[in-house]
Amino acid sequence: MLKALLILALCLPLSVAAGQNQPAEQFGIEHLMEYLGMVPGDISFRSDYTEPDSFRLQVVSDLMTRPLDMIAFSTEVKNGHINGQPEIMARYLFKQAARTGQAYRDRAYRADAAELQGSYNLFYNDMTFNQILTRAAAYIDVIIPRSAEKSLAFVTSDQRRFLRDQFKQLLVISESEEFLSVAAADSLEKLENSYCEQFAAFGHRINKDPVIDAGVECLREILMELNTLRAMLKSGAVSAEKIVEGTGYLPGGADLDAYLGKQTGWKVGGPGNDYYNGDYKFIFDFGGDDIYDLSYDPSDPHGVIIIDLSGNDVYRALSDFALGSGCFSVGLLLDFEGDDTYDARSFGLGSGYFGLGILYDAAGNDHYDGDTHVQGAGTFGIGLLIDEGGRDIYNAALYSQGFGFSEGVGVVYDLAGSDSYYAGGKYKAVIHYDDHYESNSQGCGYGIRPYLSGGIGALIDLKGHDNYHSDMITQGAGFWWALGMVYDSSGNDRYTSFQYAQGSGTHMALGILVDGHGDDVYFGKGLMQGCGHDYACGLILDRSGSDTYTAFDLSQGAGSANGAGLLIDNGGDDLYSVRRTANTRGYGNPRRDFGSIGLFIDLGGTDQYHGGGQDNFYWRSDSKWGGGMDIELHPPDTTGSKM
Amino acid sequence: MNFCGRKAIAFGCLVLLILSVAVPSVAQRALERKVDSLFVIASSAELKSRDQVEPAKDSIAALGVDVVPVLVGKFTTKSARERMTIIQIFKRIGSPAVPYLVRSLNLADGLVVQRVCWALGDIGDTAAVLPLKQVSTHPRWQVRDECLGALGDIGDPRAADAVLAGFSDEAGQVRKAAVVAAGKVGLARAIPGLVAMLADDFYGARLSAVEALLQLDTAVVVATLGDSLHSRRKLVGNLACHVLGRIATDHAIELLYAEAHATDPGRRAHALVALVAADPHDNCGFRDSLMAGETDSAVIRKVQSAVYTARNETR
Repeated sequence: MLKALLILALCLPLSVAAGQNQPAEQFGIEHLMEYLGMVPGDISFRSDYTEPDSFRLQVVSDLMTRPLDMIAFSTEVKNGHINGQPEIMARYLFKQAARTGQAYRDRAYRADAAELQGSYNLFYNDMTFNQILTRAAAYIDVIIPRSAEKSLAFVTSDQRRFLRDQFKQLLVISESEEFLSVAAADSLEKLENSYCEQFAAFGHRINKDPVIDAGVECLREILMELNTLRAMLKSGAVSAEKIVEGTGYLPGGADLDAYLGKQTGWKVGGPGNDYYNGDYKFIFDFGGDDIYDLSYDPSDPHGVIIIDLSGNDVYRALSDFALGSGCFSVGLLLDFEGDDTYDARSFGLGSGYFGLGILYDAAGNDHYDGDTHVQGAGTFGIGLLIDEGGRDIYNAALYSQGFGFSEGVGVVYDLAGSDSYYAGGKYKAVIHYDDHYESNSQGCGYGIRPYLSGGIGALIDLKGHDNYHSDMITQGAGFWWALGMVYDSSGNDRYTSFQYAQGSGTHMALGILVDGHGDDVYFGKGLMQGCGHDYACGLILDRSGSDTYTAFDLSQGAGSANGAGLLIDNGGDDLYSVRRTANTRGYGNPRRDFGSIGLFIDLGGTDQYHGGGQDNFYWRSDSKWGGGMDIELHPPDTTGSKM
Repeated sequence: MNFCGRKAIAFGCLVLLILSVAVPSVAQRALERKVDSLFVIASSAELKSRDQVEPAKDSIAALGVDVVPVLVGKFTTKSARERMTIIQIFKRIGSPAVPYLVRSLNLADGLVVQRVCWALGDIGDTAAVLPLKQVSTHPRWQVRDECLGALGDIGDPRAADAVLAGFSDEAGQVRKAAVVAAGKVGLARAIPGLVAMLADDFYGARLSAVEALLQLDTAVVVATLGDSLHSRRKLVGNLACHVLGRIATDHAIELLYAEAHATDPGRRAHALVALVAADPHDNCGFRDSLMAGETDSAVIRKVQSAVYTARNETR
């Protein structure tokens, strides 16, 4: 009889029914945890393992209590953008940037009518265009600077200098650091710790809300007018040449600062190829293949709005904080057409450093290049890079491609095209390795332990067969009260990293990688593919496709030092490989006299395992505590009937 | 003695007085400097200093009990690495460090106190038991957690009351520490409490209770589990099956056999999987009859997986 049952069990894949409307992964988690004597609520972390600092984000705090809600939250972020309306995502991110316990979100400075009236003469004839310029002037001249002032109202001038100089050093690494002696490295670490302590003493007085709100409102108002103008240009109701021509005459010796669009730091370019060089406040370019050589002086903060309607443009940064960078202010760069090249230094391409920085590229095959804190990076602010089309290439060294530091949110949102993301290769990870590099990018939330809680970093990519390549702390990785996420909706994607990656939380943090459709490849060394280390949770969820997972150790559903790691694959014929079977695939290790949680869940398909685990199988690992299962949640229809 | 002679003596006394005060403080400063310089290396995580870390810890420990106050002074560090280094050095110094550490339990800084508890547990000297019990009700949960952990590590039965009281602590981590300590100390009195902990809200306490029960009197544990299999709290019965499977006495197997007839397929699976663990070769001959009427595919697969795993382990 038993033999008959065994044969039956081997022939028929295990089928289990999930409740109606219950996501497959939720059923899988509950089902496996019941088998292991656990409940989903077991994956939860206290807020007081160490003394909480003042900079924790409410979202991160809430998700630390219920880390499995990361799945719903990442889906919400993915659904947060509406094509052609970057201000909606910006507004959504503003909401997510609330501090823990922050009951009231402050707004931008409210300028009265007298302040907004201004005293500009009109040079251009087109009403809509003048409306754009008028709104831009109101924000650049009044609302943004006053809002920035409101944000830093309780911060002294010395402290502002500290933010500009010393605090920035916490986000900058020198390539020479790898050659420091032990004593010098220790001294540098102590210096940085002292910066953290100095900052912690007054950082709570910074109110980032007004300046961010000003930037979001500015974007919203300008886009309304801009869309009207673009429609008029498209229909031929107006022509760029005609608009740029303006009155065609300025009196001799006229004070250009009195003319709207002609002020110092303002430039309007026509449909031809133009060249811009310097520290600008406003550029409006109607077309052509333009070159922008831009700089920014952080000791003289101001709003920057750059709008380019078409052409294959080259944007080059001559300094840090240029190109879609909000540094103690707001920086907006809106490019609507063309295959563009963005070549930044550090703190650019959608970088918010005590401010709001947005780079919005509506179309074209674009190339983004930068160093540190670039391509959707936020520190006490929001950095957002939205690319709505084309086959794009993203290249950066550190703290980039969806990076959130303290009270910061950084997001890259790429809607279409087979894109390539690379982060790393410049600054050695000297603490652990002499042949690997810090990346801290590609959906990375990062804080400084134990002084400054981190923020939210997200990389969202909706379509295309994408390549993600990086080294350490990347691809849905959180470090110290932070959240890092990657959400890739479709395409056959390839994720390569080395360590702390692909759904990895480290030291009281959260990391998630969600991939919707496609046959994907996940490759790396360790602490990845669903790994939580030290009261942290890392989760990788692949919803469909025949995927390949390769790792060396402490991966694929591994909990370490009282953390929780989950690998969930909802379907497809997958291949799982690991080198070390003792600490992978549903593994938890003990620390502080109790265990961690490691869960490995495969809910469908005919899967191959190299290492522990097997198809159609349940297992409890020899660890504290964890296990796995490979079941057939929705068994294939064997009747042969066609719908 | 003439005036000059008295003056010389007075001067000499003054010099001696100054030296008696200054020399120890100079020596203390020299010691601190020495510890500081070694500590930079001992607590370094840099790849290039990896070979020097352990010798540096040994060198500090070799300086003896005089370094204990210096190291306690460093216990306020925010670096986890430095904290671990200090505890490892205390462990190397051993019992001579205990008197000063015990005195440090009275410090006002709870962070330091919890770390001192940890160090005392690692040293494992029974002289710390009574002083540790004094801080087992400390207002800070982290202190209570480390205190009970230390009492468990020392393993002295005098800790019983403090450990049992920890079962009802509001903090899950403290309940976990109490559960672990109960197992390490071998507290038979704790068995009913440990069985109740199988349904604790905190998984650390719940699953540690499994391990703790396995360290205590088997007959009493099996009897107590048998009484609790049908607890309204499902987790108690499910994990009780797991414990019974690992204990694997005849009585435990009898209880599991009965439980394998439960109407709840989840419970049946727990009982059957535990039976496989207890009797991997089915020497009792229960498995065929139990599985004959089983229709739940998940139960079948769980048992099938357990049989496969048991056979592989036996091999």
